[in-house]
Amino acid sequence: MLDETGRAKRLHDVLGDAVVVLGFVYTSCPDINGCPLANHVLQRVQSRLLEDAGLGAQVRLVSLSFDPIHDRPEVMRSLGESFAKPGADWRLLTTVSDDALAPILEAYGQSIQREYDAGGRPLGTISHLLRVFLIDREKRIRNVYSSALLHADTVWSDVRTILAESAPSRPEPAQPREDPARLSFPAEPPLGLPEMHIPPGAEPTPERIALGRKLFFDRRLSRNATISCALCHVPAQGFTSNAMATSIGIEGRTVRRNAPSLYNAAYAERLFHDGRESSLEEQVWSPLLAADEMGNPSVQELLDRLGTLRDYDGLFEAAFEGSGPTRDHVGVALASFERTLVSGSSPFDRWRFGGEAKALSPAAQRGAALFEGKAGCVACHAIGEQTALFTDHALHDTGVGFRRAAAPTTADVEIEYAPGSRLRIDAAVVSAAREPPRPDFGLEEISGRPEDRWKYRTPSLRNVALTAPYMHDGSVRTLPEVVEYYDGGGAAHALLDARIRPLGLRTGEKEDLVAFLESLTGDDIEALVEMAEATPIGDTTSRSSP
Amino acid sequence: MPGVGDEQDKLVTVDVHPGSPTYGKVIGTLSVGGRNEAHHSGLTDDRRYLWASGIDTSKIFIFDVHTDPAKPKLHATIDDFVAKSGGVVGPHTLYALPGRMLLTGLSNNQDHGGKTAMVEYTNDGKYVATHWMPVDGDLRGAEKAGQFADGYGYDVRALPRRNVLVSSSFTGWNNYMMNLGKLLADPEAMKRFGNTVVIWDLHTKKPKKVLDVPGAPLEIRCAWGARHDYCFTSTALTSKIWLIYADAEGDWQAKAVSDIGDPSKVPLPVDISISADDSLLWVDTWSDGKTRLFDVSDPHRPKQIYEKKIGEQVNMASQSWDGKRIYFTSSLLANWDKTEPAGGDLQFFKGYEFDGKELEEKFAIDFVKEKLGAPHQMRFGAKALYSRLPVRPRERLARAS
Repeated sequence: MLDETGRAKRLHDVLGDAVVVLGFVYTSCPDINGCPLANHVLQRVQSRLLEDAGLGAQVRLVSLSFDPIHDRPEVMRSLGESFAKPGADWRLLTTVSDDALAPILEAYGQSIQREYDAGGRPLGTISHLLRVFLIDREKRIRNVYSSALLHADTVWSDVRTILAESAPSRPEPAQPREDPARLSFPAEPPLGLPEMHIPPGAEPTPERIALGRKLFFDRRLSRNATISCALCHVPAQGFTSNAMATSIGIEGRTVRRNAPSLYNAAYAERLFHDGRESSLEEQVWSPLLAADEMGNPSVQELLDRLGTLRDYDGLFEAAFEGSGPTRDHVGVALASFERTLVSGSSPFDRWRFGGEAKALSPAAQRGAALFEGKAGCVACHAIGEQTALFTDHALHDTGVGFRRAAAPTTADVEIEYAPGSRLRIDAAVVSAAREPPRPDFGLEEISGRPEDRWKYRTPSLRNVALTAPYMHDGSVRTLPEVVEYYDGGGAAHALLDARIRPLGLRTGEKEDLVAFLESLTGDDIEALVEMAEATPIGDTTSRSSP
Repeated sequence: MPGVGDEQDKLVTVDVHPGSPTYGKVIGTLSVGGRNEAHHSGLTDDRRYLWASGIDTSKIFIFDVHTDPAKPKLHATIDDFVAKSGGVVGPHTLYALPGRMLLTGLSNNQDHGGKTAMVEYTNDGKYVATHWMPVDGDLRGAEKAGQFADGYGYDVRALPRRNVLVSSSFTGWNNYMMNLGKLLADPEAMKRFGNTVVIWDLHTKKPKKVLDVPGAPLEIRCAWGARHDYCFTSTALTSKIWLIYADAEGDWQAKAVSDIGDPSKVPLPVDISISADDSLLWVDTWSDGKTRLFDVSDPHRPKQIYEKKIGEQVNMASQSWDGKRIYFTSSLLANWDKTEPAGGDLQFFKGYEFDGKELEEKFAIDFVKEKLGAPHQMRFGAKALYSRLPVRPRERLARAS
């Protein structure tokens, strides 16, 4: 660069010791909203500076020409003589040549184009976008102003803001959030839960739990790095999803069934709604590989990918005696994390197993009596002498699968798009948008036996108040509606489980049953959700370019 | 688009210069690798680069459109938007500010719901800052004017002379990635749409006021006139035009000013386009494939004056500055788009001339037949806006997936 006297300078010579307002201009600019505006605004900023005696030395105005051919140092000097006032620091700079100018323009993203007439002769005008830069004492650009946003008041206010910063305002490095995780396996199960069976070799250690938790929240575990386990099993939504009836996978692919809650999944003897797996270590691979869930093409491809993620360096080795990612290790790590999601000591547990007579409200106590008596729920949602899992680990036809298969596909839909605001949607609109329905036959799809049609696993009822919507297809939205469904005897058809029958419950009894179901919420929900939400979410950190 | 061509998202260049030998023809395509739910795009303030984003993978593709405007090049890809922004998912609108781009998010990496933020980048692709939307429990200093502060995002526009940004609210990844029929039939999912428009301080990026605009307000178009302190938006679910305006006291308000078609048929208004003199507003309704023209010379009382069916579905509208040419594309979202009846009216790019009374079709490109995919947003590569000299206009179109 050249200053007003023709002395050579580098741009950085005028940066760093003051807050700088830098405008790119050229002196023959005819556009009133271009360089003349910049000069005018800088003049007004200069006036403010001169009014505020203390600031003169801390702020510098710089006008840099992007027309080195015309704007020689003497041109800039005479411009300066007409603008710059004594006591203010306003530098009027130019460059030796277009070549010297080019890297500066490139660095500031200031594009210019000389304009030519039809015969290719230069018109002397330069097409450009007005840009004025505010640069702090660490030589960082803090704001950029265009014509529409270049006002002296704004620039002045920004200058004052930077000057008022007591310390360099470099962004704080992200603090790792405190980790309240329960990374060691609980020695004693919570009240109401039995000892957990853990397969030999799958013992949860703090390293395995931490690794499993990291995997669980890692969106890079899906084919296109968009969904993690936690996005269908959302911690703050009961480790399921309250936001939809049945899940969706990568690219929004439709999954037929509702995401099961992972609370106390460690105790499940049958996994998936159709009960097709029985080991957590094996189960985890199904969603990872399903084309409509996380969509990974193969076990090996995912293991190879994990091997390239630097933030996993050493973690498998620490958890598995020096051995890296394998199919089994991914299974054990995720299962170890899932085994920490145990939740008991609910009001019901304290009342039934802890001897606290007042832990359960009178309504919930009446509900418990109905649950184990008139309503007969306990026939499948079992309660033991010392503990209760609220499941018989079996599969039954409760009529929900039949009801779905028999339902008409053409009905108006009423939605509540905002609290109190409803909209009825024409059946034709819904059916035109619907993809071809995929049938769901439940256990029959696994066993091949027609008598297993529409049989689904009995889920535990622990934390059931947190895990709406309900049933394998998420077709029932609330607990009162669940009670209503069973009170009505389910959807009658030949295969319906004999235990599903009209119950003849009175209104008060239904309310008592709901009160009972709401008493099954564990005492550690807040801690588990807090632990989960403190987990860093794995997202792509690599950058193709630039 | 699966099953079509190379199945990848791409930038397609179309010659729309009347009289050109390739007028109305595709003159270039550039695949970016994979499918990302390519959606919107925006030119940088100097119009040298076109930023286009995928609202599924949250990748951002930066195209060099100045070196050879007829042949854009992929200049850079930002893969780490979610990590850099602190968990924002689904970069939607890419809006030019001086030297930088303001990106609106649609979702987040914690639950794929609608809570989200706006994110600033420099023109050369460096992350600057994340501005979370005001939400119940964390209004960030904003005034909650009505019932809602949902924290959802969608579009953003500026009224610089009022130092105002206006943002709208759609829905999270869970819903926009879901099959539309499945979504409509799921009452839990349908509860999760945006009901707000937020007024921001443009300079500080602080939210000032949260306005109730129930029913998923989408595109925002602000008036151009020097004293026209208002913007329009339309609500996808309730099929209404809303006016966002500064009242006599200069306070920002929102008001429903017109129905669009028959709301019970969910015509689903999508793109809107305001004329340069602020007198006309084109409103596309996706379900019925129609465009409607409203006289908005009194912005408080829009009157529909014209409608025409463009195709089986229609999404974006882009008009020339003089209002004489208008272009339409068909695609909304991969899992919402119609799949039948097959033919040229399903996935298309159509060019029309408008004489003030009637739209006359000048050309149509069948994007499935051409093995391109599902066309979404269009951007004019009008370098002439920044030069007084005539430049052969090219208009280009972002996205086919």
